[in-house]
Amino acid sequence: MNAGILSVSPAFYKVWLRNAQVFIALWKFNFLPALAEPVLFIFVMGLGIGSYIKEIEGVPYLDFVAAGILGSAAIMQATFECTYGSFFRMRIQNTFEGIISTPMSADEVGLAEISWGATRGMVNATLVFFILLVMGVFHRWQVIFLPPLMFLAAFNFAAIALLVTSRIAQMEYFRFYFSGIVLPAQFICGTFFPVSRFPEAVQIFAWVIPFTSYIDISRSLMLDRPARALGPELLWALGTTLIFTELAVRSMHRRLVR
Amino acid sequence: MIIEAKSLCKRFRDVVAVDGLDLEVEPGRCYGLVGPNGAGKTTTMKMIYCITEPTSGSLRVFDLDVISHPREIKARLGVVPQENNLDPDLSTSQNLKVYARYFGISKDVAASRCQELLEFMHLSDRADSPMPALSGGMKRRLILARALINDPELIILDEPTTGLDPQVRHLIWDRLLELKERGITLLLTTHYMDEAQKLCDEVLIMDEARSVDVGTPSKLIRSHMRPYVLELRAERGRVADILSRFGHLEHQSSGQNLYFYGNATEEFNGLYGAYPDVEHLLRPASLEDVFLKLTGREIRQ
Repeated sequence: MNAGILSVSPAFYKVWLRNAQVFIALWKFNFLPALAEPVLFIFVMGLGIGSYIKEIEGVPYLDFVAAGILGSAAIMQATFECTYGSFFRMRIQNTFEGIISTPMSADEVGLAEISWGATRGMVNATLVFFILLVMGVFHRWQVIFLPPLMFLAAFNFAAIALLVTSRIAQMEYFRFYFSGIVLPAQFICGTFFPVSRFPEAVQIFAWVIPFTSYIDISRSLMLDRPARALGPELLWALGTTLIFTELAVRSMHRRLVR
Repeated sequence: MIIEAKSLCKRFRDVVAVDGLDLEVEPGRCYGLVGPNGAGKTTTMKMIYCITEPTSGSLRVFDLDVISHPREIKARLGVVPQENNLDPDLSTSQNLKVYARYFGISKDVAASRCQELLEFMHLSDRADSPMPALSGGMKRRLILARALINDPELIILDEPTTGLDPQVRHLIWDRLLELKERGITLLLTTHYMDEAQKLCDEVLIMDEARSVDVGTPSKLIRSHMRPYVLELRAERGRVADILSRFGHLEHQSSGQNLYFYGNATEEFNGLYGAYPDVEHLLRPASLEDVFLKLTGREIRQ
């Protein structure tokens, strides 16, 4: 059997739709808790710490940190969905085994899970986007590119997360991924202060994690200044998304069709 | 042939799950796979419904190869898995409709089929129930209804009645026989030999990844067993005594239980006379006797 993104039929949206249907059935439990973290960040980082810092790189702290909060909202939600969420569906509920017993393929399940994680990340980021808009953080029309960029960021991290999910035997292994990659990403990728504050080795690690690129591009859209290197950053973002999606889909196939 | 396997093998790393299995299932028949836990029944079924790929040998379903045509094969069959995989967050009818969508069934058709199937499985008044509100028997019936959503030509059932009360078992048996009458082919595994004997036209006994024997239930009984069995349940001390006097008759023992096999009931007359007070049961040989004879009485896995 063929495997990988190219073997996926457009019917994969049906699995996405199944997740959306369950999400809507449980919206009370899904919506508000997911928003708690970014809102907390806005208050703690933006308004709390921000009142001491005043300015960073020539802009008010809240304006600076907004890109980080927005990005975190996208990738954290996507990551949770495609780690614990996907693992739960795969191992605890046996949902995937049921789906691939129909004409749907394991690869379609994989791509649908990533798309669903990306959707949730973007929905979350879009809500945060409107909160920031109402708070008067945005000053340029270019911010309309932020939601699609956040979709890409969420897609990227959903793919990485699903790759991890497809490779682990038990949920406890997620702790390594969270403390080794996700948590560092949230704090060292330029989220709350510039990456340039770190020693060079940490900076390199930060730039390897695509989140740094997303934040830098976001910041260039929000604040009137160029990205550090727009071309390479976009290429890295798109490239890692594509590669990790392909790897995750293939790995999911191996996991489900044994 | 609906299913045709030749020298089918499945290896997981260093474990051989299925080893050189030959299998032929004709249309409209009910075919049973029986065997101890770990014999390879579920793996065999998973290869047939294309969620596990054979390591070697050939396997064709609807005359299509399982490796090159999984989508086409899966579109034409229904699966009742061993473990419940209903969507716990969706209602009864939503569970059916989500599956209808995977099969590309239009909304209108799905709605009417859903109603029909819930009626067929006696679940109509539960159409909007959330999953936690359903009993084990209702969930099992719903899974069977779900397996029928695409009007399948072949239904694969992995232990369809395990853990169910007699009422639900009988309902499921009735439904399966009704489906068979409509010409649908059934492939099932079970640990209940009375179930296999009642439902199956043909039974394949598996043990340790291999086929041990295959045939109609009555043929299997005839070729492996004498027609009559006398079961005795003796006190511990008397077992040796009984065996010392009647050990020349064909028998098996298991703890305090003794099984004597005979061609005619008269062969047991001496036994009765000698031990009138020992609890006994005279009965025709069954598929369970064949099963235990071929796969042994000791615990496997």
